[in-house]
Amino acid sequence: MDTKWKNRKRIISFLTFFLGISLSLGSISGIFRAKPSDVRIWQLDRLLENDYQQSERFRGYVVNRLENLLIMATGGEGLPGAWEYGNGVCYDGYYYYSGSGYADYYDGYFDDYEYSYSEIVEDVIEQEDIREGRSTGEASYVPDPGKEQIKRLTDEQKKEIADRYHDSIKGDKNLLYAVLYDGEVLYDNGDLFSADGTPAAPEGYNFLLYFDGEKASIFKDGKEIDVYGDGYYHEDSDWYLPGYTNFQAGDAVKKAAVCIAVAKEPVLYSEGFYDNGGSRQYDNGLYWINVNLLQSREIMLQGFIGLGLGCILLLGAFLGRKRRHEAAEGIARFQGKIWLEFKILLFLGLFYAPIFLGLRFGYDQWREWGWAYEYEYGLDEAFFVGRQLAESIPPLFWIVLFWSLWLFYNDFKYNKKIWRCSLTAKLYRAFSAKNLHLPLSRKMARRNQTVFLGAFLYGILMLGGSAAAGTVLRGEYALIAVLLISVLGTVFFLILQYLYGKENMKVAKDVEALSDRITQIRNGDYGAARDGEKDCGTDGADISGADCGLETAMARLEDIRHGMAMAVDEQMKSERMKVELIANVSHDIKTPLTSIISYVEILKQEEGLPDHIKDYIKILDEKSQRLNNMVQDVFAVSKAASGELPMQMEELDFVKLIKQTMADMEEQIQNSGVSFRTELPKEPVMIMADGQRLYRVFQNLFQNAIKYSLKGSRVYVALGTEGALAVASVKNISLQELDKDKDFAERFARGDQSRTDGGSGLGLSIAQSFTEACGGKFSWETDADLFVVRVTFKILKA
Amino acid sequence: MVNEMGERILVVDDDREIVKAIDILLRKEGYEVLKAYDGLEALDILSREQVRLLLIDVMMPKLDGLSAVMRIREKQNIPIIVLSAKSEESDKVLGLSMGADDYVAKPYNPQELAARVKSQIRRYTSLGDIHAENRAGEIRNGRLLYNTEEKILYADGEPVKLTATEIKIIDLFMRNPGRVFPAEEIYRRVWEEDNVVSENTVMVHIRRIREKLELNPKEPEYIKVVWGIGYKMEKQEKNH
Repeated sequence: MDTKWKNRKRIISFLTFFLGISLSLGSISGIFRAKPSDVRIWQLDRLLENDYQQSERFRGYVVNRLENLLIMATGGEGLPGAWEYGNGVCYDGYYYYSGSGYADYYDGYFDDYEYSYSEIVEDVIEQEDIREGRSTGEASYVPDPGKEQIKRLTDEQKKEIADRYHDSIKGDKNLLYAVLYDGEVLYDNGDLFSADGTPAAPEGYNFLLYFDGEKASIFKDGKEIDVYGDGYYHEDSDWYLPGYTNFQAGDAVKKAAVCIAVAKEPVLYSEGFYDNGGSRQYDNGLYWINVNLLQSREIMLQGFIGLGLGCILLLGAFLGRKRRHEAAEGIARFQGKIWLEFKILLFLGLFYAPIFLGLRFGYDQWREWGWAYEYEYGLDEAFFVGRQLAESIPPLFWIVLFWSLWLFYNDFKYNKKIWRCSLTAKLYRAFSAKNLHLPLSRKMARRNQTVFLGAFLYGILMLGGSAAAGTVLRGEYALIAVLLISVLGTVFFLILQYLYGKENMKVAKDVEALSDRITQIRNGDYGAARDGEKDCGTDGADISGADCGLETAMARLEDIRHGMAMAVDEQMKSERMKVELIANVSHDIKTPLTSIISYVEILKQEEGLPDHIKDYIKILDEKSQRLNNMVQDVFAVSKAASGELPMQMEELDFVKLIKQTMADMEEQIQNSGVSFRTELPKEPVMIMADGQRLYRVFQNLFQNAIKYSLKGSRVYVALGTEGALAVASVKNISLQELDKDKDFAERFARGDQSRTDGGSGLGLSIAQSFTEACGGKFSWETDADLFVVRVTFKILKA
Repeated sequence: MVNEMGERILVVDDDREIVKAIDILLRKEGYEVLKAYDGLEALDILSREQVRLLLIDVMMPKLDGLSAVMRIREKQNIPIIVLSAKSEESDKVLGLSMGADDYVAKPYNPQELAARVKSQIRRYTSLGDIHAENRAGEIRNGRLLYNTEEKILYADGEPVKLTATEIKIIDLFMRNPGRVFPAEEIYRRVWEEDNVVSENTVMVHIRRIREKLELNPKEPEYIKVVWGIGYKMEKQEKNH
């Protein structure tokens, strides 16, 4: 199958899953959130009906109002809104301040505005104060039952309270009422009785409740509703009205009658109140109940539709789960590359962002929740507030939470050890012993990386901290936290830097040791590593060496050193053997040669020999002498080449040495047929050398020049200085054509190949060996038939 | 030169041909030659016979030359010349320190060998005079004796014929044995001129003197060139 299509399928299946979950989750939390308080889950069906009169809150409102109206009818106590009489007075132990008292009353009015308890109190008191025309702003008084006098209300006061109450509620025409006592209408805000005196709801009012003093009857849309059921009040009974067998109205209300009519579609009633504070809204409780119900219903409907859609999508996702798993794996692969710390920060950020960004979801609820524990309201109360809290959280938050957790789960599922990809692990690895086997370059790269990242994070932390301190977070604790984070960050960063620096110092030390060792070896010291220099040599016992990054390089260098030491040893041994061999051979040659020379001498002294015999003897004499010279030259060369030639170094004048040598050879030079030209400095040129050996050098050079020069040509002998060097040169024109590529200093190499003349063929070779043994430099070059030899020595400073 | 006939020389070498050659050589010079082929034999002959000089090889079977020399030196004081195929300076020093009077490397020059033998015998015979210690105006150095008053140089007791300039040089050297003289100084003190002089002039004279008094002028023992510095009279350790 086409991979592109495959990928697309994966994306689609995952998107389905994503949308399904998000939608379902969002819908569910939306439903719970939109659910008005006091609606039980199993009564959701009622909410779905488009009638607010079916809601429990409506029933509660009506029952509450009925009770108040009955109090009005009987002239009893307990009506809400009589604050001024309550100030500082505790009536019969009945607290008008009791929270539950007006929480019931204001239920459905303030609840949806999320007013706080204290706000309600202040608000109500303020309203009352305004109504009374008193100045406000004084601290509201909280009665202390221990100190306050207990007084009973007078009948006038009760009447006053009832009137006031009537005043405050009559403007809300959503609920019409008539309060009768003994057949006489005490209070009403609308015409509720037909001509025959029976209660009848006016146009637009579809709910009618009539309480005749014993029982209540309810008509909705003209039909009577069964209020009492089996005649007993149960906890789940709809109507909390007197008239049950176990809830009698009592004698006080026997003569009272109340009729209540409720509008089918409540509207908002307000009244101009311009002589004191502008307009004001009436209670309007039913209107708000209806509006909220409609809103909730809409949200819930949306929620259910969303849930349904989500379920369908989930079903689809379930069908394509194989592709979805593949997609999840892909996501996990991506997740695997992100540091764990970053993930955790992101996760925490998701929870704290709403708080920090001012999306406070019920800050007061949090506070209330805290109080609930603090004042020991009991677990029930705390649970209730907690539930409220949960309901106040926006659905998006739940979705985000779910997906965060899912991502963690996914990460764990596919990547297993998710801590492996984290900054901490990276840091640990960078300095742990585990990656010792890594080559130094990679170790250093890793350390560099770590420090860079550390610096980066540190920078971000500092920047974020100061930004947070400057803008979002104000207040002592926030500043302290930021300061703490800054200090911790700095300490952490410095520790990181220190570790890094330490490692680098170690490496630098090792590099130094390595380079020392290289220098040592280069200088020809092939001995094993000295004790003084520990480092990462071959000895693995060294603990610090175990942490060294250069041990491979060091080990290899040791190999090279070992190899070179072996080679040098081998060479020395073979040189020594060669010298020994030559010494033995020359000794063995010398013995017979002694006999030859001796008997040739005896022959020479023989008298009366014919001339041709004398010629033969002469030849024998010459050749035996030459053989003798050769043996001695070979011995000298081999000794010099092996460095076993005993030397007597002393300060001497190079100029004088050349002059002496030439003087010593004057006879030879004069008889040679070539003339010598010298170019020597007047002042002495002091060098350090073995005079006897250097004499041999120039003797050989001059002999060569004499022997191989073109007859009648000139030999140029010069000594010049080049900076700190004295360069002596001998130039002559060769008799034979010079072979450009020939190594003339090679042993037995000669200008001609015939080897019939007197030399041993070792002249230049001896000259070179002896010069080098004296610490000088020997070189030669040819230019056409010009042969130039140079002997260079360091000039001694006077 | 007067050779007292019948002067016995013991020649020791494991190479019979060499012994024979030396025998021929020395007989021609008028010496009587006794032959031995190893160290022990040499000791045996020395214990029985009167010998004026010993020529002994180093590398020999049974008893090597140097050990033999050491044992001989315990009893006798005759001149000994060591013959050896080892020509190194160190070998020479070793041989002389063992008690030898002279050291000749193989292959030797027969003429030189004969001259050395003669020199050693002369010095040995004139030992009596020598032991009288230096008379006034006499300077001794090895086989050389210089009379500062008569201005005569003796080698092995025989006067050496030298020119006036040569005797001036010898005068300078014999009075300052071991000291190195640069050519300029020699020229100034001998020729009594301060001119810039060529090395050659001095060298020529030096060479001529060598030929007159050195046993082997190619390897001088007394008048030496100190290369790159000057010239000197080598001070001989053995002054008998």
